[in-house]
Amino acid sequence: MNGAHDLGGMHGFGPVDPEPDEPVFHHDWERRVFALNLASGFLGQWNIDMSRYAREQMPAAEYLATTYYEHWLFGLEHLLVKKGLVKPEEIEARVAELRRQRVGRPAAGS
Amino acid sequence: MRVLKGADVEQVIRKSGGARVHVELPAKFKAGDRVVARNLHPLGHTRLPRYARGRRGVIDRDHGVFIFPDTHAAGTGQKPQHVYAVRFDARELWGEAAEPRQFVYLDLWESYLDPA
Amino acid sequence: MSHDHDHHHDHDHDPDHPGEHGAPLSGPALRVKALESLLVEKGLVDPVALDQLIDRYETKVGPRNGARVVARAWTDPAFKRRLLDDTSSAMAEFGYTGRQGENMVVVENTPTIHNMVVCTLCSCYPWPVLGLPPVWYKSAPYRSRAVIDPRGVLREFGVELRDDVEVRVWDSTAELRYLVLPLRPAGTQGMSEEQLAEIVTRDSMIGTGVVNGLSAR
Repeated sequence: MNGAHDLGGMHGFGPVDPEPDEPVFHHDWERRVFALNLASGFLGQWNIDMSRYAREQMPAAEYLATTYYEHWLFGLEHLLVKKGLVKPEEIEARVAELRRQRVGRPAAGS
Repeated sequence: MRVLKGADVEQVIRKSGGARVHVELPAKFKAGDRVVARNLHPLGHTRLPRYARGRRGVIDRDHGVFIFPDTHAAGTGQKPQHVYAVRFDARELWGEAAEPRQFVYLDLWESYLDPA
Repeated sequence: MSHDHDHHHDHDHDPDHPGEHGAPLSGPALRVKALESLLVEKGLVDPVALDQLIDRYETKVGPRNGARVVARAWTDPAFKRRLLDDTSSAMAEFGYTGRQGENMVVVENTPTIHNMVVCTLCSCYPWPVLGLPPVWYKSAPYRSRAVIDPRGVLREFGVELRDDVEVRVWDSTAELRYLVLPLRPAGTQGMSEEQLAEIVTRDSMIGTGVVNGLSAR
């Protein structure tokens, strides 16, 4: 698909700006989503080409505004839902529950 | 469904087979052949970047036979075929104002290529 | 598929310190936690496997692997020949096999050819010899510019090539994974293979750097 991921030759993204001595993961959730992707892929419900295609389907504006592992998160959810392994309602319910636990009261948005 | 267990991680990673398909298939192209990338714009998954579509290049090498991602991602089959490293002159890709002595190599499946 | 629209980037909140009582996790952190808990509950992922995967790629695999391959190629002409002719088999001599490195190709820098590797479409990178890619490799600036302005990108990395050098940018569009064999710097004749491995930088094996004889960075 002619998605935002097809970046070769585009202008306007600014300098490469490498971070010196950067860590492999910048946040714990990045570690977890990395491992979840690999472990979920092992289930054999999709192949690597499907997983790349899943990430490509992130809406273009969102793709460009988010980080690499957010793309992985999107792709993983997309595949898990598509293959019926998890329902969207389950994810939203669990997110709401965790948010309530964190804040100590019913979430009023965050 | 099998679940990946901790004890299996190392072996699973090491023994990963990858996308190569060990089957003998005739190769449509060989090193030195002039080719043109097709101008295709599928809605599904493809690994032919927009910047190379319709562009002329030269086969640098034949990497052998691999799973074809366009069909594999759609669940319509592996459709194994030769993948080639194709050398494109920067001026072919980006116009006459592009720098000389600059080349981009893309790995392209036979389905993406026509003889030029 | 619904996506939580409260999912903003909470830069005020450090997702690495969720233990602070009442501090909300950032959008992605919360969502990943939710997913992980669901997948573990459903028995689809094993938490031990998750930890093993993280440990492997965070601590066990990295550019030191590729540096050893380069140092061997610099000091052992027969190995170098094998590396160029059948990269995957040569790397298997070190045990550097597996996921995202099953089909390796080494491209050699010469005084008149400089190679650079990118994956414009995503982030394809030779994990067994370089580990996981750095953020800049996976981000839009590099992915967009490497193929159209490689000399400009190199300049940003402090590399200035002579005009007569041919630049070859390899876009990893398929499952071949590329490693650049950088030029051995002058003045390193007396160094052992181990010492040479110490000076080979990750960026020199991606092609955004060169190896200097004097320093490791």
